[in-house]
Amino acid sequence: MPSISMTVNGQAVTGEVEGRTLLVEFLRDTLGLTGTHVGCDTSQCGACVIHLDGVSVKSCAVLALNADGAEVLTIEGVADGDDLHPMQEAFREHHGLQCGFCTPGMVLTALALVADNPDPTDAEVRHGLEGNLCRCTGYQNIVHAILDGAKRMRG
Amino acid sequence: MHDFNFIQPKSAAAAADALAGAEDGQYMAGGQTLIPVLKQRLAMPTDVVDLSAIPGLAGIEVSGGAVRVGAMTTHAAVAASGAVRDAVPALAHLAGLIGDPHVRNRGTLGGSIANNDPAADYPAAVLGLGATVVTESREIAADDFFTDLFETALDDGELVTRVDFPVPDAAAYVKFPNPASRYAIVGVFVSRAGGAVRVAVTGAGPCVFRQAEMEAALSAEFSAEAIAGVAIAADDLNNDLHASAEYRAHLVGVMARRAVAEIA
Amino acid sequence: MNKVSFGDTVRRAEDHRFLTGKGNYIDDITMPGQAHGVVVRSPYAHARINGFDADAARRAPGVLLVVTGADWAAQGFGPIPTKSAVKENRDGTPIAVPDRPCLAHDRVRYVGEGVAFIVAETRDQARDAAELLDVDYAPMDAVTHPVKALEPGAPQLHDGIADNLCVDWELGDAEATEAAMRAADRIVRLELHNNRVTGAPIEPRGAIASYDAGTDSYLMYQATQNIHANRNTTAEILGIEADKIRHVGPDVGGGFGAKNSVYPEPALVLHAAKTLNRPVKWVNDRAESFLSDTHGRSQYSTVELGVDDDGTFRALRTTTVGELGAYCGTVGAFTPTGGSARTQGGPYGFEAMYYSARAGFTNTAPLDPYRGAGRPEGSFQIERIVEKAARELGIDPVELRRKNLIPKERLPLKTAMGLDVDCGDFPTVFEQALAMTDRVGFQARKAASEAAGKRLGFAIAPYLECTGGMPKEHAVVTFTADGSAHLAVGSQSTGMGHETALPQILAATLGLDMARIGFTQADTDATPLGGGHGGSRGMEMGGNAVLQTAGEIIEKGRAIAAHLFETDVDKIDFEDGSFFEKDTNHIASMTEIIAASFDPERLPDGMEPGSLNTGSTFERGIISIPNGCHAAEVEVDPDTGAIAVTGFWVVDDFGTIINPMLADGQVMGGVGQGLGQALMENAVYDEASGQLVTGSLIDYALPRADDMPPMTLEYYEGAPTKKNPLGVKGAGEAGCCGAPPAIVNAVLDALDGLGVTHIEMPLTPEAVWRAIDAAGS
Repeated sequence: MPSISMTVNGQAVTGEVEGRTLLVEFLRDTLGLTGTHVGCDTSQCGACVIHLDGVSVKSCAVLALNADGAEVLTIEGVADGDDLHPMQEAFREHHGLQCGFCTPGMVLTALALVADNPDPTDAEVRHGLEGNLCRCTGYQNIVHAILDGAKRMRG
Repeated sequence: MHDFNFIQPKSAAAAADALAGAEDGQYMAGGQTLIPVLKQRLAMPTDVVDLSAIPGLAGIEVSGGAVRVGAMTTHAAVAASGAVRDAVPALAHLAGLIGDPHVRNRGTLGGSIANNDPAADYPAAVLGLGATVVTESREIAADDFFTDLFETALDDGELVTRVDFPVPDAAAYVKFPNPASRYAIVGVFVSRAGGAVRVAVTGAGPCVFRQAEMEAALSAEFSAEAIAGVAIAADDLNNDLHASAEYRAHLVGVMARRAVAEIA
Repeated sequence: MNKVSFGDTVRRAEDHRFLTGKGNYIDDITMPGQAHGVVVRSPYAHARINGFDADAARRAPGVLLVVTGADWAAQGFGPIPTKSAVKENRDGTPIAVPDRPCLAHDRVRYVGEGVAFIVAETRDQARDAAELLDVDYAPMDAVTHPVKALEPGAPQLHDGIADNLCVDWELGDAEATEAAMRAADRIVRLELHNNRVTGAPIEPRGAIASYDAGTDSYLMYQATQNIHANRNTTAEILGIEADKIRHVGPDVGGGFGAKNSVYPEPALVLHAAKTLNRPVKWVNDRAESFLSDTHGRSQYSTVELGVDDDGTFRALRTTTVGELGAYCGTVGAFTPTGGSARTQGGPYGFEAMYYSARAGFTNTAPLDPYRGAGRPEGSFQIERIVEKAARELGIDPVELRRKNLIPKERLPLKTAMGLDVDCGDFPTVFEQALAMTDRVGFQARKAASEAAGKRLGFAIAPYLECTGGMPKEHAVVTFTADGSAHLAVGSQSTGMGHETALPQILAATLGLDMARIGFTQADTDATPLGGGHGGSRGMEMGGNAVLQTAGEIIEKGRAIAAHLFETDVDKIDFEDGSFFEKDTNHIASMTEIIAASFDPERLPDGMEPGSLNTGSTFERGIISIPNGCHAAEVEVDPDTGAIAVTGFWVVDDFGTIINPMLADGQVMGGVGQGLGQALMENAVYDEASGQLVTGSLIDYALPRADDMPPMTLEYYEGAPTKKNPLGVKGAGEAGCCGAPPAIVNAVLDALDGLGVTHIEMPLTPEAVWRAIDAAGS
């Protein structure tokens, strides 16, 4: 089996994979980073969104081999120890999560969105969430959380 | 998904060789369509030939009256490109409507047009702008490239390296998305260059197509009213769970008029 | 000290875990040596199975176990029982309940029905082997339409069950209703379809179990809403003692009813774990979720409203055809019968009502409760017929509703459906909602919309609910000498925030620091019984169980305080977290009493150290009656039929609000699912092949962020119910009751003048375009 190496949440990691191993499987099964979730098989739900070399991707639609040598950020790498990232703090403050299953993907999507657009409008946030499904919240509190998280990040 | 050999060639020639040498090989560009298909075991190639390590296939250049987009350029890169936005804003707009932000960060122009999904967005731009598809061996006019449902003029193993989009006087793309998949139920790309007008329709039929009657009417008078009377026959259009052929025919008219109105 | 009260917005304790990727969902659990199970599912809607050839699958790399339907049948395990509260037909005969095996062995009756379970070292190996299992199917004609299934000549699903009929049922006074109909000036009639949908929690179903041969016992984790019922029923299927299974619900990624039912797979997982003496994990993929999760709704109804020309409602009659799917689900026949009948008529007054339902078997996945389980269907029926009546009578729909709402003075009352409506103020709730909607500005917005070629519409939809679910709930509180507490409950959150709301109740009642209360839910070892989640029962049952337990703790605390103060118990009061003796300066905080409760020196006779620990079972009386009013403003693009919901307003009467932030979350999530059903969600089976054609998230549309309107929420808090000590009424399902009629009626309002009187859900752009087109031609 081929071996791959990458940097995940600042840590150098290596592991063996098959050709068919998805990046999400490598993260979850090999590295034990189970915060990245799988909610569908057609790349619709967005629960598996991570950052790959600085941009958001659906890790269920990337082969692990394609991430060889890459820089990966998962939900486990967002907080600073026990201190939540301002975006995570905003999700908590605004009740932007219920069951929590879509949440890692939402937070990483929010961070990518704000990186591109530090002061988004309500409509821009909603459009930016077109690749992420939430079945619990009706989205309003997620949108409010992201707007507030962006504000906190602007300082 | 079934396991496969993963091959990552460093040149187009090596890619073609790898494919030729495989029992059942498959190119992969961004993988945003292919990987879900593999996961559902709808395709089971023995070898996946990944194109991401071939140098020179990604990039955007505006020169000589054309926007030249490398085959491995992501949708996100096209959508965000200032050069594309300046030269053909409709092209950047279209790229920004594909899939979702995460898909746009991986999905590529070359992958999209080589797959030629009947509901994909890019074929509408390629055909609607009269672009030229460049492969490592030849140039293929858009009018000759998209041949049928998931079929193109590409030979086995032939690799798209670039698409050259001529810069029109004006262009617009209006899309009616499928609420679930975000693919186009109907998308219409209209461009005007000198006296020539192109109207390319995606999502409606088995393959992207030009609407000749609309083009003729718009060439005579470029206004939404000019095509209000063009009847779109539903006969050959897609009829499925998401939309009937009649509704698609209706939407072709509405989307085309809206695209023209955006320009006019 | 983090002091909390009822009504405080307390941020969630569980969020830190979920936000940092430390949630523990079913697929995150790994047991040493675990193997992976995959269910082989029928590709046919209806077929006879002539046999299995599992040799190649058994020989496939990594395969540990193949259990075919034939193997399963040979083990003699029981069928999956149904627990329908409706057990009899209108004539007193029992409803028809076919055997539902965990694996089919001689016949499959829907696409996705399990025919074998394959366990291998890895999930991919199990899936690879599944392709090698040869099942000899002889396809049969299938029927997937609930009305057609009951027609003569339809393909028959079950031997010995005539005409595919499961249940034929009625409620109310048919004669009185007929008389009132005749006495009314007119009868307004509407046929409507409540579309088939599925809960689609983002986390698919799954389970992982281990077996301990030494004690002949099992440990099972399952992504379910209902640990105890699942444990008990699964044990019943396997013929083992329930207490041999410790059943734990980890973090569960949404439920909405779809994780409430008892399914075949957990029994397969337990069986495989014992057979292999190895932990076995099974997790569905999304395609399997669509095929094998229970679906909901799906009713074809005729609604008749007897109404006078002045708008006075006289009688309501609903005749429904529902469906069970291929078998009876866990509550099976209840949803289209009792579940839909109880809240008929909504918050309006009628002289008489009558509900009649038949429901049969179809070659589709079993149907069971989906968020609301019959009440959304009832709410949709009454609000659609009222809207139609308004248009026929030429009365403003707002006025017609206002005129017929049951006035506060008439409460309490028992409706013609036998529902005990104890409290509420429907007219006040209605006016409060209407006032939020900026009716004054509507005309200007409408004009602006029309100038842009669009059409604006508005509708208001009051609803009446009934909630409570399973009638018993248990809470256990244990203390440690340092004053910290641990709360365990048998109710279960699948995202609703009980880990916060229930400790909040305990902390507020006992005056404890919330930060020092631990929490366990969904563990059969932690509580002797539990009702899990379903029927919006979190606060109504779980909350009241906690309150009752806290009350018993206070009584024990008074005895300890009396002993410490050397006085009589009846002189001890408890207030604001402290025990004190009247007319003295004797006072002891709850924390001090907890400490004393571990010190034999400071305990009265008869109390042992630790005896402040208390477990208590709360048993509810009559279910509570949440009610409220939703209003929607929509903009329709008549050229395409596309709908944008541009405004949404809600007033809910949930009685006492424990944590308004969590209540808001429930309402907005419910509105999201209601909007989904109204506008885009639709589980469609191809009638010819019986295939589920909406079997992926590419084909089954779930609402996205940009589909949702801005929502404005308020509460009416003037009517806490006396049916339970907290005064709460369930909040979870209201959104699904109010949103569909508000949105659909608003769309019809937008199309007013075009001759469109009804469009079936979901109101897809094409459906709207076709309705406009048909009305204009």
